[in-house]
Amino acid sequence: MEGLFFNVNCGFLEGIVRGYKSGTLTQAHYASLTQCETLEDFKTQLSATDYGNFLANEPSPLSTATITDKATQILVDQFNFLRTNAVEPLSKFLDYITYAYMIDNVVLLITGTLHERDTHELLERCHPLGIFDTMPALCVATNVEELYQSVLVETPIAPYFRDCLSAADLDDLNIEIIRNTVYKAYLEDFYNYVSTLGSPTADVMQNILGFEADRRTINITINSFDTAELSKEQRAKLFPAIGRLFPAGNNILAKADDIDQVRQVCENVGEYRSFFDNSASAQNNGDLGDLGVAAQLEERFFRMEVHLNKLSFLQQFQYGVFYSYMKLKEQEIRNITWIAECIAQDARDRMHDFIPIF
Amino acid sequence: MGDDYPTLFRSEQMSLVQLYIPTEVAHDTVAGLGGLGNVQFKDLNPTVNPFQRSFVGEIRRTEEMARRVRFFESQIQKERDVVPIRPLDDSAPLVTVGPSAAHNIDELDVTLAEHETRLVQMNESYKTLSERTRELLEARHVLRETAVFFEKASLAETQQTDIRTSFDDSSAPLLQHDDREQQYSSTLQFDLEFVAGTIDRARISTFERVLWRVLRGNLYMNHTDIAEPFIDPGTGAETRKNVFIIFAHGDALLAKIRKVAESMGATLYPIDPNADKRSDSLREVTDRLEDLQTVLYNTGLSRRSALVTIGENLARWQDVVRKEKAVYETMNLFNYDVRRKTLVAEGWCPTRDMTMIQMALRHATEESGTSIVPILHELRTNKTPPTFTRTNKFTEGFQTIMDAYGIATYQEVNPGLFAIITFPFLFAVMFGDIGHGLILFFAALYMIFKEKQWAREELDEILGQFFYGRYIILLMGTFSVYTGLMYNDIFSKSLHIWHSGWEFPPSNGISFAVSTGHVYPFGLDPAWHAADNGLVFTNSYKMKMAIVLGVIHMTFALCLQLPNHIKFKRPLDIYANFIPQMIFLQSIFGYLALCILYKWSIDWSTRSTEPPSLLNMLIAMFLSPGTVEPQLYSGQGFVQVVLLLLALVCVPWMLCTKPYFQWKEMQNIRGQGYVGLGHRNGAPRESTDEVLEIEEEGNGRVIVEEMEEEHEQHDFSEVVIHQIIHTIEFCLGCISHTASYLRLWALSLAHAQLSEVLWSMTLEKVLGLSGVFGIIALVITGTFWFISTVFILCIMEAFTPLSFAKLEEKE
Repeated sequence: MEGLFFNVNCGFLEGIVRGYKSGTLTQAHYASLTQCETLEDFKTQLSATDYGNFLANEPSPLSTATITDKATQILVDQFNFLRTNAVEPLSKFLDYITYAYMIDNVVLLITGTLHERDTHELLERCHPLGIFDTMPALCVATNVEELYQSVLVETPIAPYFRDCLSAADLDDLNIEIIRNTVYKAYLEDFYNYVSTLGSPTADVMQNILGFEADRRTINITINSFDTAELSKEQRAKLFPAIGRLFPAGNNILAKADDIDQVRQVCENVGEYRSFFDNSASAQNNGDLGDLGVAAQLEERFFRMEVHLNKLSFLQQFQYGVFYSYMKLKEQEIRNITWIAECIAQDARDRMHDFIPIF
Repeated sequence: MGDDYPTLFRSEQMSLVQLYIPTEVAHDTVAGLGGLGNVQFKDLNPTVNPFQRSFVGEIRRTEEMARRVRFFESQIQKERDVVPIRPLDDSAPLVTVGPSAAHNIDELDVTLAEHETRLVQMNESYKTLSERTRELLEARHVLRETAVFFEKASLAETQQTDIRTSFDDSSAPLLQHDDREQQYSSTLQFDLEFVAGTIDRARISTFERVLWRVLRGNLYMNHTDIAEPFIDPGTGAETRKNVFIIFAHGDALLAKIRKVAESMGATLYPIDPNADKRSDSLREVTDRLEDLQTVLYNTGLSRRSALVTIGENLARWQDVVRKEKAVYETMNLFNYDVRRKTLVAEGWCPTRDMTMIQMALRHATEESGTSIVPILHELRTNKTPPTFTRTNKFTEGFQTIMDAYGIATYQEVNPGLFAIITFPFLFAVMFGDIGHGLILFFAALYMIFKEKQWAREELDEILGQFFYGRYIILLMGTFSVYTGLMYNDIFSKSLHIWHSGWEFPPSNGISFAVSTGHVYPFGLDPAWHAADNGLVFTNSYKMKMAIVLGVIHMTFALCLQLPNHIKFKRPLDIYANFIPQMIFLQSIFGYLALCILYKWSIDWSTRSTEPPSLLNMLIAMFLSPGTVEPQLYSGQGFVQVVLLLLALVCVPWMLCTKPYFQWKEMQNIRGQGYVGLGHRNGAPRESTDEVLEIEEEGNGRVIVEEMEEEHEQHDFSEVVIHQIIHTIEFCLGCISHTASYLRLWALSLAHAQLSEVLWSMTLEKVLGLSGVFGIIALVITGTFWFISTVFILCIMEAFTPLSFAKLEEKE
């Protein structure tokens, strides 16, 4: 049934987003990109793709930052086009996507202010999709209560902050806790929201968001192994209450002390089993340690995310494609940045460590 | 090379040529050939990445130059007063060929870079200056506005009136207010501290809200609009700003206000509470502002003069940079022979232009001052050459329309030639009206008259399209006049040129026309115009005419394939495709057309039988063959059965003959044991030949036989499927095209009706009035009628027949 009227409101935008998606770089593009000797070659090569001559008006010595900025700008323009053309409930769904960027920006600003960085410089580094009117005022706040009362209360992400008002002072640890609490609230809220949207959207999005939650859970666990400041109860509070690891896996993870326990938890979920496959042998070989495992894990997470997002394009009549497109494109920009960075720093051997999308 | 004169009938003879160009003259040669524009180069290294080709460095350099030129262009466009750009044909051309070419380009590169750095510097200084001017301006505004505010306050203080009403902001708490009141009454000075500055108007409400929340309401804020906008010199964008002044108590709060204000993009200015000091600083600011503005004016002037110098040369530079880029991109298609320092190029060119190309090559060599001439060979090939049709300004438009539907294969009959007449004629059938036709005609004539002038100018998109099709419009107008005469329509009225064949004897009630005995010699009798059954008559007349025209047009289009088959010696196609198709078409629709003509030729009033309906006849021909109810002529039933059988036979004929003969041919070849042998042996031998010949001497004829491209897979199933599709397409196409031609009828009726409505709704009502009022009304409605006629009928409606005529032409 949902297919019957879906196209009335969203057919156009779905077509647009699928068109955008067919412009993502393919394996062949990456192959030729990695052959580039200089960033000038890189620019020539990119101009043959859907990026077109987005760098044509940049003066000659290119920096990787410019490439990233311009590529992000394209993505932002595309998103804004989608957003302005969307109607309810798709517009609300798209808004939810921007909340993640808002949270990132808020955290960035608070951290920056804490380290007494220049406000304007911070504002420039904010993601353009997460900008809201009162954002600049964030830098006057000194504690969470004030932050909430003065600025956040009128933003859509206010409800997420309600849970962490108790945290008294702003320091690095607290900010990290705030970020995770807020993100947890955000993920759960988004999860509930997509559940109200009904079948195909909910199926696809719950899968992706569940993985996102699990990824955060595992990351929090691994990162909090050696810190005494974060008690295990506190840790448990940061875990999102969704995903495949919830509730049993989360409970074990909350008490976990080393990476083997994390692995055991992941063994229980079929899809996640591969995360620790090779790392076991690597660890036997010796000196990779937890840090190496975490780095490797991060890459596997990205691969998994790309995989899940690609799957969402296999279904029609659902909003998951919009979310997935944003995520895939972000990954693509990360890839481009990585390759460009490798070219700039002449690290050819590491150049192939990007995550291909198609 | 039979026909020496270029015709539209078939596309030009092409030859594949190979050029050996020494590297020194490569650039000039390509530039020369580019000017000529009749060689299509093939990409000889399709596997090479774009950035690994030979001339990437040069392309990159020209791209950098192009970027600079674009920068100048955008700067010139942003300038508020128009900077004149000298048109290209006015400026002296920059020599980019010959011995000094490299030097010239280097020089141009340097000049562009210099101009850029100068412009960027000037932009920067201009920007800083105007930034400072803006700050001073804002400061002055802040001073003035706050002065007004302070004056009001002191006035209020002296009058001891109720301050609450004049100053109370609903957001200010009462406690604060009392506090302030005390302040006012105690001294004339303001002890209460404040912050003043300017902020973007769009942000004022957010700013106020945030402050309110941050300070928990402990503030008093006032703001006023600054009337004139501030213009950013870099982007030319306007921003409107507001002056604000905020009173608050305590250093901590003030620091917070400052921080919020700064992060919200506001600019703060120090203001002294003392009135004398304020007026002092106002004076100072005004003085400094004056100085700055003089400096700013001078900077702006010198920047402008720099832009004007750039504008003088811009078109020239653009031209050169584009040409250079195109030249190097073409050179990237060539094969670079490192050993002999030559570039090898392959491309198609019209055989007729070969001498011109030779001349151009020699010319390029002479200009570059070397003695090595590029060598041109003609290669023999069995690849299908590209289709090239030489057009002139008259045929160009028609050819473009035809090309939109598909381009004929090399040397096939070009439908564009016939479109020159058929397209305007079909249009005219739909648009038949002398008046409207004349409007089109004169509009086209005007455009042709203005041709030389307009061709040089940049026309906007819509006008440009009309201008491009001016000769089409001219012919469409002419033909419309002709069909208008046929329909006897001029702005929906009829012309009485000769004596009408009918007259209406005066009577009350219904009057019947009486024949006067003579026949109206040309076109529709005007008497039909007023008759009650006029519409019925024209309706049936136009419908039948549409079908007759359609059948003729389709038959003609079908015949166009015959010369192709004869030329390419494909007798099988004649027997297996052309003949059955022709029989099929003629036995159904040709027969219908004949019946229409026959029915017209009979005076039915003298016959005893009722005239039969041809539509029912056609339906009955299929549904109940053999029986004809009201007969058109005797023996009709038999004839129709024969025709139907003929048409039915044609379908399997089309379907089976061609695949069968091809299968048989394949069997023959296989029977003689030639399978694959020629293929396997041929290719290597040929290629060694090629290499040998190149090795031996430069100018032998090289034979490039690329077997695999031409050898389509002789897969039998593909042939069958292709033939099935072709047959179905033709049979259904016949029916649907005939139906499509009914559009001719529908649109010509619609056109006539619409123009009649326009006439009766506007002019006719007014024509009856008399006196001054009548004249005025006549003028007004007359203009209205004329404008709407021109717009609705001639422009909008012209598009509809146009697009339909296009569709029809596709057949």
